[in-house]
Amino acid sequence: MRGERLLGSELRVLFRRWRTWAMLAALASIPILMAVVVRLSSDPPGPGEGPPFLDQVTNNGMFVAVTALVMTTPLFMPLTIAVVSGDTIAGEASLGTLRYLLVAPAGRVRLLVVKYLTTVVFAVVASGTVLLVGWAIGAALFGTGEATLLSGDTIGVGDAVLRSLLVGAHVTICMIGLAAIGQFISTLTDAGVGAMAAVAVLTIVAQVLGQLDQLAWLHPWLFTHHWLGFADLLRTPIVWTSFTENAALQGAYVAFFGALAYGRFTTKDVLS
Amino acid sequence: MARTLTRWLPAAAVPLVIAGSVALASAAGADELPERTPEEILTLLADREHQPFSGEFEQSSDLGLPSLPGGVDLPAGEGDAAAVTAALDALTSDHSGRVFVGEEHQARLQVFESFGERDLIVNGTEVWAYDSSENAATHTTIPEGAHAAAPDQQQLTPDAVADRIIEAAGPTTDLSVRDDVEVAGRAAYDLVLTPRTDATLVGEVAIAVDGETGQPLRVTVTARGEDAPAFQLAYTSLDLGAPDADLFTFTPPADAEVEEVTPPTGDHGSEPTDKPQPTVIGEGWESVAVLEAGDIASEPLLAQLTTAVDGGRLLSTDLVNALITDDGRVLVGAVPLERLQAAAAE
Repeated sequence: MRGERLLGSELRVLFRRWRTWAMLAALASIPILMAVVVRLSSDPPGPGEGPPFLDQVTNNGMFVAVTALVMTTPLFMPLTIAVVSGDTIAGEASLGTLRYLLVAPAGRVRLLVVKYLTTVVFAVVASGTVLLVGWAIGAALFGTGEATLLSGDTIGVGDAVLRSLLVGAHVTICMIGLAAIGQFISTLTDAGVGAMAAVAVLTIVAQVLGQLDQLAWLHPWLFTHHWLGFADLLRTPIVWTSFTENAALQGAYVAFFGALAYGRFTTKDVLS
Repeated sequence: MARTLTRWLPAAAVPLVIAGSVALASAAGADELPERTPEEILTLLADREHQPFSGEFEQSSDLGLPSLPGGVDLPAGEGDAAAVTAALDALTSDHSGRVFVGEEHQARLQVFESFGERDLIVNGTEVWAYDSSENAATHTTIPEGAHAAAPDQQQLTPDAVADRIIEAAGPTTDLSVRDDVEVAGRAAYDLVLTPRTDATLVGEVAIAVDGETGQPLRVTVTARGEDAPAFQLAYTSLDLGAPDADLFTFTPPADAEVEEVTPPTGDHGSEPTDKPQPTVIGEGWESVAVLEAGDIASEPLLAQLTTAVDGGRLLSTDLVNALITDDGRVLVGAVPLERLQAAAAE
């Protein structure tokens, strides 16, 4: 089967699953819950209260999207990526469908790439969902107005959309790196659930290690190091260091774990 | 079997490529600078002209103090107690930020927090300070001709810290020059200040001075007998172009709490009267500052960080000692405890 057709059919399988839609709905519920609670509360959050930027939400609905990304990035979003990427190879293996996918010659590398691209598409859709739902519910409940950046300068609606798009791009890049780790773990086992759990645990472990001052030398190499670094995109002028360093770091993770997955998957005995 | 091995080759090659490119990026050598004596470098430093630039800086300190857990606020006392706790916080935590310098009397300093920022904007006689975590701004209009006295917070940049150290060092210091260094992508002289006296905790201070512009790029303070620096403040990137002029015009957000502050009146250099000046005993590296601190010793967090010594409680770090005496004074200096106790008895 040709690559594009395989990708198309994989995407159809992914977005036909109830599980996928349930995860996207769970992600979408976070900005909605947040916006509704702030709207109904008689006492609007003051500066520095609640998650970052929450006090900004009442001025400009756009910030619902940014605050929702702050809240979903450490746990909810990586969990969904863990489910999708951990399932890629191990899920097929546990259903016994992996060997049928591999009947075509030279199929393993292609399957690996197509499966990975499917997860990347899911990562884009996941952060896009949080952004779009955040914008929509924010604009509906609070309207759009001037937004205040961390530096104290105010920006208009167009600029706010642009900045939240950048934040979304940053989060997506983080998830693309995680997806590569998840796919490698998925090639190690025939138990899909085990792979998903391992990816989720790894995410938490990396974030805990990132909190320990004694391991400061390790921090720049942790894949979670820049996950919340997108605050730098909300200063004037934009600080690009976190964004570019993160992109390079995630690129290195994709290259390394992609190579590991290639080594593992092309030498593996596929029995199921 | 050989085929199996070749399939694992990429996984072995990728880390090598990554390690190689990281090593290459950090190994870029400094340009050759003409030889200069320490005195010539001091002149270069002192005679530098106003230069617009934008730069990012980082401060890190390792004072051998138990680092305070992030997010725990030190008790905010009043007056001098607040100043002492603020100084403690500044010493024990690491900072990063940016500084923009435009035309003369135009500057903007940004100190980054993970989801916040503190800004100081100086534009002619207008001074704005903004704290995003409080969403609060203060505005001061300083009288004509008093520009230099205004921005207290400028002390945070490598430039200002280097100037203050050189001013304070005086004749009790040996000057020498080490091999040229590269800081923020610029070739720089490494001027080393070594105290001539033994009665200080400071082993040496190294100041990297830009070979072209004479701007201090990095300040490193090493405690006596230590190898790793106890304090470092350095630019990580520097751009010698004029920054966007819009950066210096600040309008506070509509919902921010704005406080108007009347500037200190009086001649250039005089301090606001409600802030008692610390008395300084001794000179140069051995000087000790004495502050009236009231009941600061009863703060539980301070009590935890200090140890009981003769005449009070001692907060000891590799670089700075602070003695809180039983009669409510605080003596601070980069000196051994005995010197503080002697100063307290004076």
